[in-house]
Amino acid sequence: MTVTNTPDLIETLVECATPVRRLRPPLMRAGLWLAFAALILVLVAIAHGLRSDLAIQMQRPLFLVGMMAALATGILAAIASFQISLPDSSRWWLLLPVPPLALWVSTIGYGCLTDWVSIGPDGVHMDEALRCLATLLMTSVPLSIAILLMLRYAALLRPTEVCVTGGLAVAAMTAFALSLLHDLDATIMILVWNLAVAALIAGLASLFGRSMLTWIAMRFTPTAR
Amino acid sequence: MAPVGVTTLANSFDDFEAFKAFPMSSGNNPRSAQLTLVTKAPDDSRKANGGLIWSKLMARAQDGDRQAYRTLLQDMTPYLRSLAARCFKQPGDIEDAVQDVLLTIHMVRHAYDPKRPFGPWLVAIANRRIIDRLRRETRHKAHEIALSREHETFPDPMTNLKEAPEEAALNEAIERLPAEQRQAVRLLKLKELSLKEAALVSGRSIAALKVSTHRAIKSLRSILKHQSE
Repeated sequence: MTVTNTPDLIETLVECATPVRRLRPPLMRAGLWLAFAALILVLVAIAHGLRSDLAIQMQRPLFLVGMMAALATGILAAIASFQISLPDSSRWWLLLPVPPLALWVSTIGYGCLTDWVSIGPDGVHMDEALRCLATLLMTSVPLSIAILLMLRYAALLRPTEVCVTGGLAVAAMTAFALSLLHDLDATIMILVWNLAVAALIAGLASLFGRSMLTWIAMRFTPTAR
Repeated sequence: MAPVGVTTLANSFDDFEAFKAFPMSSGNNPRSAQLTLVTKAPDDSRKANGGLIWSKLMARAQDGDRQAYRTLLQDMTPYLRSLAARCFKQPGDIEDAVQDVLLTIHMVRHAYDPKRPFGPWLVAIANRRIIDRLRRETRHKAHEIALSREHETFPDPMTNLKEAPEEAALNEAIERLPAEQRQAVRLLKLKELSLKEAALVSGRSIAALKVSTHRAIKSLRSILKHQSE
């Protein structure tokens, strides 16, 4: 830095003080992100088509509860991450997605206990798994980029908390999309996918989220130029 | 600290609820007694509702009012300094932390909602930046070694008297070497040049320099051994 003295720094900052547009309330911004997520989901669903046995699956309470819990986790984690990105908001917002997350994880666990026997020798089809991967990327990549851009200012404030909740929101939305679109032969596949997706995205978010957030903040913060 | 700074500090202290979270009157701060003495500040206009004034200044700064922004930054600097002074001892570190907080506030100023109180917003940002700096400092310190007295006295010839006789003996031994070996030892060992550099300086080949050095070390060993006997 070339400025070493605080009054000089203040003068420099004052010179750079262009008018800024205030952030909208966090709930509205979370709503915008969720609307974007819904749009992505609709587009992917149009491109791929809903799973053929959705009507049958919907009658299974375990499937329905698990899917709704994933959706609720996504929505509440998005709200939490937009709230927590503000410096003066309470840390208790972190707990907001915990109840549906617990429900989601427990349906996965319950499914594992009851259905794991149902994988037959032909239970896993690689082509279906690859299409799943494509859906996963098409959903999670734009959603991750959107939330990183929308929360870039939090890089200097609460990067870890924002990354954890944001990553959870993306993971839950992606898992919801997967269970809506893909009919996998064995129930365990969905469960494994659910777990794998959540673990993958949350893991990536905690590993690289912080540096990605900083990187994006350096390039796209209008006031930093 | 200059009296002006103390006054402004006292003003802002009275204004913020945030101080409940960070009580200045704790016994471990030697400056708290001095600060509580300044109860009557000459400029009382801001005292009644200082947080609100800062909030309004920030709202105007968000709309591009530079004068309001300057006033806000100047007013909050002594307060930030007091926050930083609780965690850092060196004036340079305190100033660095203050500047870090000012820069952060500049970068996230669009994230402030004028409907919410300014004090907690500012304190949250300041604490976050100060804690980040403290963490970084601790990490740096883990890789550093404090200078001992030996390190400090090393470059001064007068402090190395103990080693002087040995040095003299070595120099004498080097003087007694044949010219080529002497040159090789001086360039490669005393001046610590690389083989390439030494070859350039002396105009000799690298292989010749290597041989000379090898022979020189051998001769020095025998000369010094001879002397000690």
